[in-house]
Amino acid sequence: MEIISLDNVSYSYKAYNDDGTVGECIGVEGVTLSVEEGAFVALVGHNGCGKSTLAKLLNGLLLPKSGTVRVCGLTTTDRDTLFELRKNVGMVFQNPDNQMVASIVEEDVAFGPENLGVPQPEIVQRVYEALSQVGMEQFAKSSPHRLSGGQKQRIAIAGALAIRPKVLVLDESTAMLDPLGRKEVLDVAHKLNAQGMTVVLITHFMEEVLDCSSVLVMNNGHLVAQGTPNEIFANRRLLDEVGLRAPRTVELADKLHSAGFNVDALERSAHILGGDVCQELTK
Amino acid sequence: MLRDVTFGQYYPGNSFVHRMDARIKLVLTLLFMVGIFFVQSFAVFGFVTVFLLAVIFISQVPLRSVLRSVKGIVVLLVLTAVLNVFFAKGATPAEQPLWSWWKIEIYANGLKQAAKIFLRLVYLVIGSSVLTLTTTPVDLTHAVESLLKPLRVIKFPVHEFALIMSLTLSFIPSLIEETDRIIRAQKARGADFDTGGLIKRAKAFVPILIPLLVGGFRRAEELANAMNSRCYEGATKRTCMRVMKLGWRDYVAAFVTVAFFAGIFVLYAMRGSWGGVTWLYF
Repeated sequence: MEIISLDNVSYSYKAYNDDGTVGECIGVEGVTLSVEEGAFVALVGHNGCGKSTLAKLLNGLLLPKSGTVRVCGLTTTDRDTLFELRKNVGMVFQNPDNQMVASIVEEDVAFGPENLGVPQPEIVQRVYEALSQVGMEQFAKSSPHRLSGGQKQRIAIAGALAIRPKVLVLDESTAMLDPLGRKEVLDVAHKLNAQGMTVVLITHFMEEVLDCSSVLVMNNGHLVAQGTPNEIFANRRLLDEVGLRAPRTVELADKLHSAGFNVDALERSAHILGGDVCQELTK
Repeated sequence: MLRDVTFGQYYPGNSFVHRMDARIKLVLTLLFMVGIFFVQSFAVFGFVTVFLLAVIFISQVPLRSVLRSVKGIVVLLVLTAVLNVFFAKGATPAEQPLWSWWKIEIYANGLKQAAKIFLRLVYLVIGSSVLTLTTTPVDLTHAVESLLKPLRVIKFPVHEFALIMSLTLSFIPSLIEETDRIIRAQKARGADFDTGGLIKRAKAFVPILIPLLVGGFRRAEELANAMNSRCYEGATKRTCMRVMKLGWRDYVAAFVTVAFFAGIFVLYAMRGSWGGVTWLYF
């Protein structure tokens, strides 16, 4: 079932030029896409390609200048159902420090359900359920700024989960984290996806894309390609054009393949690829 | 530089005072602060001292931590006391100055007044620091929100006020971190914060304040987005996770404190009517 659908969506920012004139700066243009329920979609592209604009369009933080954005059957431009729509879209941003509203972990996670007007006993239940989903129950009473980046970002995810959304959008949520923190956040995202959550992962780390069910590639505000990770990584010309690079493991497998080794990057799922390459090399 | 501001000067503990409801603590502290202005004599100051020491003892906060708060206002204390010595006149027109030179006269009454002002200020600070030492800023915020609730009748934005307080608390650590980072970045580029006159030094802070301000606005926008994404729509139909319930401790503490200060108010109201027992009044 289709959970997110964008139909010919465009959005532009006001650009203030140095000579004092106000122009337009394209955020996204003519984007049409759809995401199936339960999918794990990666949205990639280099900086300024419109990834984050697209994310903000998904829960009505930005409203499209033209076209429609529908999530769970609700349109973002409908003011009456916007609240309902935001309940369905959990959003986690890049900087963990800038999304904490309280100085105690459990109170921060409780912010969402409090806004929904959930009765008090259920808030407590939701908070602890969300914290256990991200494995942070033991930090419920501590103050967020003492935690590591990965831990803070997991708290932010818990804050989104406490609203019980159907879609989780991670808007470059791993960009500021060290490799360990990134792994923590991605593990949580994959665990939630396995439980049925639709995940939209916005990133510029190509390694993170390997495990996704599909990839959307953006360039200069346009959606230029979509497909499985293997399809995307096989398309060298496309990657060069948009200034992206396939993960090292894929590149290595490709080189080995053309050198006559028995590894095929395209037919193998990314996860086993690493082991596969090693096996071939140690033969 | 990076002290843990979230917990302020909070002294972790599990004493009777720590476990009291923050609202009651706040109200009783206010009562205490008002009450000491009605204390007239050194004898009654003695009672207050015993009362305060008892509270500190029950709270299990070391006396040293409590007194540390007085250190911050030593200058103010001394200044106020000294000014009082010089400006107070005699208690009666007949009272002769103890010492006089040119227009400056010092009366015994002035010394007494100065000592009382000094004691009042010290007790004011100690009383409020007992509150902040045993209550986390988060609890205090909740207490303030809950106590201000009646003001909603006159359209005072109680929820927004509490939210601002709580956001301030949670952003202080990151802003301190950012200030630190900017200072180091500017130093690395040759900025000089430690030499020169007052004006030069003040000017040197401009390159710190501007990035901090710009960063603050950026943060605010991101936070607003994050709050909107989490369905924030203002105070309407909002619920709260934290429940504040009064326990037996609160009733006991409230009873004892109110009784104590009721006594002080009675003494104050009846001053002069018990001719014989002057020690209670001077």
